[in-house]
Amino acid sequence: MLLRAATLEALFADAVFGMYAVMRDEETTSNTSPVTRTIAVDDSADTTALLVDFLNEVLHRAHVARERFTHVAFTRFEERSLTAELTGIAPASFEEDVKAVTYHEADVRRDGDDWTTMLVFDL
Amino acid sequence: MKKSDFEKLDEFLWEIPQTHRGDMRVPARVYATEEMLDSIVRDRSLEQLVNVATLPGIQKYAIAMPDVHEGYGFPIGGVAAVDARDGVVSPGGIGYDINCGVRLLRASTSFSEVEPRLGKLAHSIAREVPSGVGRGGALKLNATDFELVLRDGASRAIEMGYGTADDVAHIESNGKLDGAEPHLVSGAARERGHDQLGTIGSGNHFVEIDRVDTVYDADEASRLGIAFNSLVVQIHTGSRGLGHQVATDSLRVMTKVMAQYGIEVADRELACAPLSSREGQKYLAAMAAAANFAFANRQVITAGIRRAWQREFPDDPVAIVYDVAHNVAKVERYGDADVVVHRKGATRAFPGQPVLIPGSMGTASYLLVGQDASMTQTFGSSCHGAGRMMSRTRARNEINAEELRGRLRKLGIVAEAGSSKGLVEEAPEAYKDIDAVVDVVARAGIAKKVARFVPIAVIKG
Repeated sequence: MLLRAATLEALFADAVFGMYAVMRDEETTSNTSPVTRTIAVDDSADTTALLVDFLNEVLHRAHVARERFTHVAFTRFEERSLTAELTGIAPASFEEDVKAVTYHEADVRRDGDDWTTMLVFDL
Repeated sequence: MKKSDFEKLDEFLWEIPQTHRGDMRVPARVYATEEMLDSIVRDRSLEQLVNVATLPGIQKYAIAMPDVHEGYGFPIGGVAAVDARDGVVSPGGIGYDINCGVRLLRASTSFSEVEPRLGKLAHSIAREVPSGVGRGGALKLNATDFELVLRDGASRAIEMGYGTADDVAHIESNGKLDGAEPHLVSGAARERGHDQLGTIGSGNHFVEIDRVDTVYDADEASRLGIAFNSLVVQIHTGSRGLGHQVATDSLRVMTKVMAQYGIEVADRELACAPLSSREGQKYLAAMAAAANFAFANRQVITAGIRRAWQREFPDDPVAIVYDVAHNVAKVERYGDADVVVHRKGATRAFPGQPVLIPGSMGTASYLLVGQDASMTQTFGSSCHGAGRMMSRTRARNEINAEELRGRLRKLGIVAEAGSSKGLVEEAPEAYKDIDAVVDVVARAGIAKKVARFVPIAVIKG
């Protein structure tokens, strides 16, 4: 999945929603409850690793509690660390099993005025 | 990569010389026919193999089997042996699904007895063995059992009532990798794995009932309890979410510490640490625990298959022929040196050891035994399957599920698939020709053909 956004925060948020698109969540609204979660990632190797590490944390919530977040807000965003407040629903229903977010071809970098990266998911 | 980059060493062996790229520490070797090589060079698997040839401490050559295809960092169907004293261990060289592997069972019930009840039997197995996205099983491990499964693998599952004491004698490493340290498996990995023991999962994992359609070596087949037209069952799965999380956790650590050890890799997915380092040792101990979880998983699945089978055929014990890992790292001795053999989509093939090579549904699978040449040529390794040729996305776009179901029906194959998507992704045309792949390892002297199976029922997510 090729991602492009005007800011790093937007790139990271879009990556979350792009991952859900791959997981093809079924937009379940019945029998779900709203959830709010704080996810903090510290001391990643660099910004590319920060994105992969963050997405793996979000993915973990999908695996263990079928949480699907619809809003992502960053309360701290540094080169190798972040804290995000995420809100959404659970339990969501996913059709595709994304088993891991890989480092394969991931490279967060500037491209003109935008930030961009490739993301490859292990299915 | 072009074919002109290779030197042809013999009919089935091609070498990319060390001079191909300045950072290669050893040459790279590919087992393939010329026709296969023409196909293999179309993806990036051999560029990945060249990257593997740059790993610190790699010995002799980086090796690709005839089923090689592009993976994350390290190609699937790849083997790398690294010096155990001063080399590295790379989680990417094992893969995310630690100890993904194959178990082969043999039934004493005849094909003619099973045929009229095949649909019912397949359905019964599907009910006993959950499969598909996010499907957990009925078995919820308590804390004590979780620790013991991670430490002791299949034998703990047997102690819990999922098998007989004799079963472990028919599993690689007796169903337990030594050195497992359960406390190194993270809470996140445990959360993912707590209800997954005894489940197949999704993707290319399956349970399959097969009929033996060819016996190549009657003596070996007899030794392994296999006969023409007899029935066998294959189980293909691994350590589920737990193993994936161990791999994810370890890659994160390795990515951070590589610079401390002065290591640079050509691809982040080859992130590694010296085997002797704290991080290297911790990875091996966590990987062993995940591998033990996988051995226990296939053991619990075996118990589910036996329950289903024995409801229909009470007198059939459904014995284990063998169980092999194809995503694992092991310290092994070759000559005077200990090496860490990374096998990612590659099967151990020690002389005399059964080698299980599943094909795709609708084609065939093979039972082989390892031969002496594997010890001198491939660090005791063989191929692991047909090798994917078509991406899952392309398969979903190009293959019609109903047409595929009809085709399988015409072949006499019962398909118990949880989803049409799961079925088309694993269609025969998504894979290379299994017969040609196995021919290469057999004619190269790596493993000897014993028997060929064809599917009669496929159970998958």
